Amino acid sequence: MEVKILDILGQTCPSCLLIALKEINLNYEKLRKGELKIVIKTDHRDATRTIPEAAKAMGYEVEVEKIHTYYEITIFKINKRR
Amino acid sequence: MPRPRRKFKENRAYEDLSITQLLKEINLLRETNKRYIQYIRDKVNQLLKVMGTLPLKPEELDDETLLDFDPIGIIAEAFSQILEHMRETNRELAVARDELQAIFNATGVGISIIDTDFRILRCNEKLKALLVDKNISVPEGNYCHKIYCNKDYPGFDCPAIETMATGRTVVKEVGKKDKYFQIVTTPFKDNEGNIVGAIEVLLDITEKKKAEAAEKRQREFYLLEKSKLATIIESLSDGLLVTDQNGSIITFNNAALKITGYNASEIIGLPYHRFFQALSTNFVELETSKSTELNIRTKSGNELTISLNIAPIKNYKGEEIGKVITFRDVTEEKYRQEIYYRTEKLVALGQLSAGVAHELNTPLGNILGYARLLLKSSNLDPRQREWLMIIIDQAKKSGEIIKGLLNFARQSSPSPKNLKEANINLLLKDILGLLHQEIEKNHIRVITEFGDIPNLKIDLRLMEQALINIVINAIQAVKDQRNGQIYIKTYKEGNSVKIVIADNGPGIPEDIKPRIFDPFFTTKPVGEGTGLGLSISSGIISDHGGFIDVESTEGEGATFIITLPITN
Repeated sequence: MEVKILDILGQTCPSCLLIALKEINLNYEKLRKGELKIVIKTDHRDATRTIPEAAKAMGYEVEVEKIHTYYEITIFKINKRR
Repeated sequence: MPRPRRKFKENRAYEDLSITQLLKEINLLRETNKRYIQYIRDKVNQLLKVMGTLPLKPEELDDETLLDFDPIGIIAEAFSQILEHMRETNRELAVARDELQAIFNATGVGISIIDTDFRILRCNEKLKALLVDKNISVPEGNYCHKIYCNKDYPGFDCPAIETMATGRTVVKEVGKKDKYFQIVTTPFKDNEGNIVGAIEVLLDITEKKKAEAAEKRQREFYLLEKSKLATIIESLSDGLLVTDQNGSIITFNNAALKITGYNASEIIGLPYHRFFQALSTNFVELETSKSTELNIRTKSGNELTISLNIAPIKNYKGEEIGKVITFRDVTEEKYRQEIYYRTEKLVALGQLSAGVAHELNTPLGNILGYARLLLKSSNLDPRQREWLMIIIDQAKKSGEIIKGLLNFARQSSPSPKNLKEANINLLLKDILGLLHQEIEKNHIRVITEFGDIPNLKIDLRLMEQALINIVINAIQAVKDQRNGQIYIKTYKEGNSVKIVIADNGPGIPEDIKPRIFDPFFTTKPVGEGTGLGLSISSGIISDHGGFIDVESTEGEGATFIITLPITN
């Protein structure tokens, strides 16, 4: 699976969310097909709430991991073809 | 949307406008633009709020970047994805709901959901099918206690009450009419975790119950049969061993231990052939279904004759899974049988002897009579007289033999009219008195030990003859030795009287022991004994329902033990 890293270290809300959403929108096709995952690096704590909430509402899986001084929010989609 | 104060008119000619007017227009436009931007910011913030985040700060994005960045577009795009996701989710939910409904109806258990008022909210088809009362077609909306239990109020034992009160799953088994059900109630909770009802799952366990009952009956039957069998095995007087497939002893009864004298731990697990091999010297491995006799030695060293039977145990497929070995002590039986055969022989011999004796008696009487007559003649010389004396003597001896034979032959059962109550002790004293001279002459010491014995109904004359023969036999056994001793003892044992007549003579050699009661069997020189004494005694005693045992070790004397039954 292709991985796209989005570094928004230093950014705060709400731009964090908007930048993340923009990235998701841009890569909508690949994400939906499960061909890509986006890893967002942020040091803004509030973003670890807003981004996952929004991404989950859009139907994505989200994993949040704390790495040293920042967070990594991974957004991807598991294709559950029925 | 706030309306701009003035509308810009395109058809106005630019050249008509003065600078002042233009400036005024510009300001107006700026003003309007600012409001538009503000409107966009407000709407962006409104959308951001919906997304759950903070409003944009003016320094975060200047107006220019704001438009370039297109947050409304971004959020709109996000919303379209959210909507798509929701549509997908709705589709999935619809499928899941249909599936659940299908499962709900297809499942083999009855399911109903009841509220806290015990009203049936929903139930599946299976539940309807399980209803004992076939008149109810639509249980939904009714009270569960009315539908399920035919009661106006829920019963005390209602599992739904317990579940709703405690929040726990309750499992109960109930019988309704001729059916049995297992009811499992689980709490039904709303999103906040409040109990708003109960889910009742009803499982028809009638078949299981019936199977259980049948199994229980079967088990009880087997247990009963098992205990019956155990009792039978234990109560058998025959020894019984059961072996496994390999012939190792796995079960035995008490009689088996009693007969062999071994204890449980010595028998269990032992291969049966080794067990009997250890007991017997002539053991040959036995074929099953065959009966055989074995001489065995018990643990304490006693010699026994056992009759042994082996039968295979087969399983339902007909394969041998072990053996049953039964055996019984036939020592006594064999002994009695031998005596019986001997008696038979004696009776036949007796009848023959009687005939011969009777026929011989007359010519012998004539020989004796004419010899005596001849002796009275005066013209005989001494030698002829001596010869005549020999004839008379030999004829007398022949007469004695014939008398013995007749006695022997006549010893049919004592006739009832001759049976009289008599005391054996007194009879023995009389006999010792009668034989007093013989005993004194041979310096024999007689020790008597007369016990307290009851009177017996006997033919006194015959019994006297029987006992005299045995005492004489003892006297003859010891008369040629120093310190000859005869020991006579009587005592009561169980339901019989025992008479022991023992001597310290040379004893009876092992090889002739079985023959001493046979008629005409004698160890004495020819002419001295008829060989009928003990035979006659044995016959008389047997006719009185008793028997004689003889114990003897060569060189250590002989002991005759007479057993006579006490009869009422």
